[in-house]
Amino acid sequence: MTTYVTPASVEAALALLDEHRGRARIIAGGTDLLPDMRSGKRTPACLVDITGIPGLREIRVAAGHVEVGACVTFAELRDHPFIRQHIHALAEAAASVGVAAIQNAATWAGNLVQAMPAADGAIVALALEAEARIVDLSGETWQPVASLFAGPGRSTVDPTRQLITHIRFPRPAAAWGTAWQRAGRRPSLILPTINCAARLILAADGGIAAATIALGPVAATPFRAARAEAFLHAARPAPATWAEAARLAQEEAQPRSNPLRASRAYRSAIIPALVESALATAYGRATEKESPC
Amino acid sequence: MPRQDITFTVNRRTVSVTVDPAAPLLDVLRGPLGLTGAKQGCDYEGECGACTVLLDGQPVRACLTPAGKVAGREVLTVEGLAAADALYPLQAAFIAHGAVQCGFCTPAMLLSAKALLDRVPDPTPDQVIEALDGQLCRCTGYAKIVAAVQSAAATLRGEVAPAAPATAAPVIGGSALRVDSVAKVTGAAQYVEDMRVPGLLHVQVLRSPHHHARLLALDAAAARRVPGVVAVLAAEDIPGENGLGDYSEDEPLLAPVGATLRMVGAPIALVVAETPAAAAEGVAAIDVRYDILPHAFEVADALAPGAPHIAGDGNVLSAEQLQMGDLPAALAAAEVSLAREYRTAYLEHSALERETVLGYPDDAGRLTIIGGTHEPYYQQKYIAGALALPLEQIRVILPPTGGSFGGKQDPWPFVATALAVLRTGRPARLMFTRRESFAASPKRHPYVVHNRIAATRAGRLLALRAEIDANTGAYDSGGKYIPNYAIIASGGPYRWPAVDLSARTVYTNGPKAGQYRGYGTAQAAFATECLLDELAQALDMDPLALRRANALLDGETTWLGYSTGESLGFVEVLAAVEPHYRALLADAAAFNEAAGPVRRGVGLAGMWYRFGKSGSLRIEAHAELTRDGQFTIYCTAPDYGQGTNTAMAQMAAETLGVPRAHVAVVNADTGRAPDSGIQGASRATYFVGGAVVSAATNLRAVLLGIAAELLDAAPDTLMLQAGRVTSPTTHAEVTLAEVAAEFDRIGHARRVRGVFDLSDRFPAETRPTYLPLFVTGAHVAEVETDLRTGEVRVLRMIAAHDVGRVINRPDAEGQIEGAVLMGVGAALLEEVLPGHTTGLADYYLPTARSMPQIDVLLVEVAGRHGPFGVKGLGEAAMLPAVPAIINATSRAIGRRLRAIPATPERVLAAIRSDAA
Ligand code: FES
Ligand code: FES
Repeated sequence: MTTYVTPASVEAALALLDEHRGRARIIAGGTDLLPDMRSGKRTPACLVDITGIPGLREIRVAAGHVEVGACVTFAELRDHPFIRQHIHALAEAAASVGVAAIQNAATWAGNLVQAMPAADGAIVALALEAEARIVDLSGETWQPVASLFAGPGRSTVDPTRQLITHIRFPRPAAAWGTAWQRAGRRPSLILPTINCAARLILAADGGIAAATIALGPVAATPFRAARAEAFLHAARPAPATWAEAARLAQEEAQPRSNPLRASRAYRSAIIPALVESALATAYGRATEKESPC
Repeated sequence: MPRQDITFTVNRRTVSVTVDPAAPLLDVLRGPLGLTGAKQGCDYEGECGACTVLLDGQPVRACLTPAGKVAGREVLTVEGLAAADALYPLQAAFIAHGAVQCGFCTPAMLLSAKALLDRVPDPTPDQVIEALDGQLCRCTGYAKIVAAVQSAAATLRGEVAPAAPATAAPVIGGSALRVDSVAKVTGAAQYVEDMRVPGLLHVQVLRSPHHHARLLALDAAAARRVPGVVAVLAAEDIPGENGLGDYSEDEPLLAPVGATLRMVGAPIALVVAETPAAAAEGVAAIDVRYDILPHAFEVADALAPGAPHIAGDGNVLSAEQLQMGDLPAALAAAEVSLAREYRTAYLEHSALERETVLGYPDDAGRLTIIGGTHEPYYQQKYIAGALALPLEQIRVILPPTGGSFGGKQDPWPFVATALAVLRTGRPARLMFTRRESFAASPKRHPYVVHNRIAATRAGRLLALRAEIDANTGAYDSGGKYIPNYAIIASGGPYRWPAVDLSARTVYTNGPKAGQYRGYGTAQAAFATECLLDELAQALDMDPLALRRANALLDGETTWLGYSTGESLGFVEVLAAVEPHYRALLADAAAFNEAAGPVRRGVGLAGMWYRFGKSGSLRIEAHAELTRDGQFTIYCTAPDYGQGTNTAMAQMAAETLGVPRAHVAVVNADTGRAPDSGIQGASRATYFVGGAVVSAATNLRAVLLGIAAELLDAAPDTLMLQAGRVTSPTTHAEVTLAEVAAEFDRIGHARRVRGVFDLSDRFPAETRPTYLPLFVTGAHVAEVETDLRTGEVRVLRMIAAHDVGRVINRPDAEGQIEGAVLMGVGAALLEEVLPGHTTGLADYYLPTARSMPQIDVLLVEVAGRHGPFGVKGLGEAAMLPAVPAIINATSRAIGRRLRAIPATPERVLAAIRSDAA
């Protein structure tokens, strides 16, 4: 028997989870959970809806970081003026999840817990070096989003006893820019063939201080192209640099074939184009203004 | 059942329901609240958008929203859009712009649009597309919906008056309000899944999970013990023939023990139960044993030595060949000759409404069966055969239907439902899941075509040879006549001194293939039109000039050995597209000067389509003067969204001389309307329309005769108008109600017959390729291709069709726009992969964002025989879209594509191949 509860605080939510001893589950948007329940993959006795908890629906732009509540929907991320204007990759990734009617319900936090290797929210979170605030009865910790993925569809966050309350990512002090690229079998309402997020932080001399490149689905979990990132570190921004980084990312990535979507060879073949565009765009955005935010 | 009380607001009314809080909101709306305007088009998976409602003003998928989530919140469904006395401006605009065809997607479209306009009063077309994106529509091609939203936005801003349907007057060629649109924009239209019947039973099907297997044993004892299960029906429960009559050779309704099951989804048993859950439990409880056999998916594998025997003689279902002229001589004389192989994919119609059929024993002791179909009288015959009942014991009615495109010609759901009703004596409904629809409904035949073309260097066509293998999958399912259609389409509207065209249908263990918009013609036209483009390139000749130089002229004897009976407007069609074609070529050339990674290309394709080749050449309809002085037309021209109800009313009104509002249509009901044949091969407007006009003409004559007696005037001096007959000379008049009373007094039937008969015009002909009724068309596509990823976007489509005469302009345009978008899907996106594809999550239908700008050019080269000069249109528009897009893409990348869908992967492989 499934009951549905809407606790008014994080503490109350945790108490409910505890009470059901693994048979209750956190629900936010529910767009992934409902199909899982229909197929019998999940059979919770109690759904703990956290979307009514005050404070979890906010986007806070602080001096050094941006903090996003667990119940902020992709539509809210997509439409948030600051994110639209300054964190392009996040706004664009949010707009890539399903279609508008899904974005109106689905949340970034839920997307992370779903832990799919090509989850748009996970890929952009990696590139932003985001962290998640995870709470359970033993307390709260901030953990890098990169540490939350245990395997395809498996998260280290256990929604039968834990929840993510917030996601935050840094706002570097230097000039920086982000970009989002995505290829799929049709323009929307489609899982990505390849998705890619990149972030470039510039040094005072105009060189690259730090770079992140995240890709999916090219490994069992959302993936960062570490060798390409390392190559970019201290490199000079130039088209040839982007091309070489893209080539390295292609080498590191290990996509798989799916007869309904794309072959390994095809996915691999388009990685350079996507990474190159992402880097060039991110660089353009980093240099567009003095310091974007 | 776990239940909780949930209180929320729906359509500004507070409601409380006691439901499972984890149940989808969709079930709560459609079930206890009876708000059936929210539709279900997929298996609660978020893939169709038909269930979209507004939650606190925001569109959400009601199938993915748990009921518990809406407590204390506000839900708006389509039923809450209109005010008591007036449609909401969006609803009016949808009707006025012809944005409603089958109507199944309409509620979701309206609500998504409302949410947008509440937020953005003056949206750009891109914003509208974004807001509607992901709400699938399979009928309209989205163009008219986008236009309707923009027009409603202007109304809501107070800039223009609410959209009024242009006219209700009987003006052929104008923009007429559809007779059924109001019900579809308000959510009032009752599709089969919406109907509420007390005591309704639910039918579910045990299907084979194997590609090829022998059924060894079946034990339903445990299933019969499941609480709620009323009956489990297997082959031995079928009183009559265990089959689908002449629709499908050797396809059992339910496979008997010992038979082979030739595909995944082959039906074995029906479970009839009080609830869907009990039916599902019953299906799972049946004990089945199979012997798994080797299988083949490809025609080549099914024909190879040592291939598994599937059916027929060496796995061949049917074959046909047409030879005219001296092919060897023509090939020998050729200065240029090309031989190529083309391939097409399995396609699924994906009408937004799934296969759903309802049946019940009616008060007259008959079995009444309600469902979307092209041929109620055929269904009646198939049911009678399987149930061993006389025809008059069965009544088949067509309800509002959510699209077909040929998919709902399969009699299986009808016969299975009728069996369940017969065996239980209770009302029962069979509703396919989307997964079942993908597995078990007929698909479009995949083709492998080997074509050879020969020409002179100056571009005169000399010969065409085609060898066509059509994969009919596991069962015939109406695939028998495919070779005939393939051959005719293959040659197209061109002058060939010699042809050798052969085609065959081959059994495999893929899904059964059957009727699909264009019935076997589009795949053949694709191959020929692509090869013509390759020839043009080889000759360094303009593809339009090549086609024009070889175009058949009206009255000319065709390569089929007979001349066209209907007017042939291909030259006019080519002339219509030419300026657009030149402009797009210039645009693409200018764009490509940048030599960037994105390239544009322009492609052209022509076609002809032989319409009406399906059933009798003698068609009947009735017209009645009602007691209150209005009119009713009785005919069988099933309307599953394309607008035949409206077209029939319009033609009758025009003939009678009364407003269309005075004409009702009783259509596609074997209990009330005469058999006007099958609705296939785009014949309704031409043939049934002809019969309707004939009936209206006959009624008018009788009516004026009787009125003349009453008015003491000569019949030919009288005028028939709305509700009355007047004499312009004496100014005397009599109401139609009075005339009707006079009919009754003198004992003259108020219902008269009309017949449209071409059998004497086209004398008895035994050649199977014979029927000289052709329509033609040509499409131009402009595409944009990313050379780095192989992604293709169709930017523009110019679609010109010779329709003879336009009856209802928005409907004609809507048919073409819908077909063009279906063409975009077939060319770039859609493919059912046997063993892999499951449903809408992995079969990629075009969404609003896939829509190109579409310009429809209606060319009116008046026909000779049909009513008002019309010709058949609905299917033809599908044919040239695919080759036009593929030719454009091939031009953009400088490599030839010969297989569809042209996925990014295929396109990139072509780009990176050496051979041009
Ligand atoms: S039924 Fe909800 S998206 Fe298909
Ligand atoms: S009108 Fe949109 S699906 Fe039929």
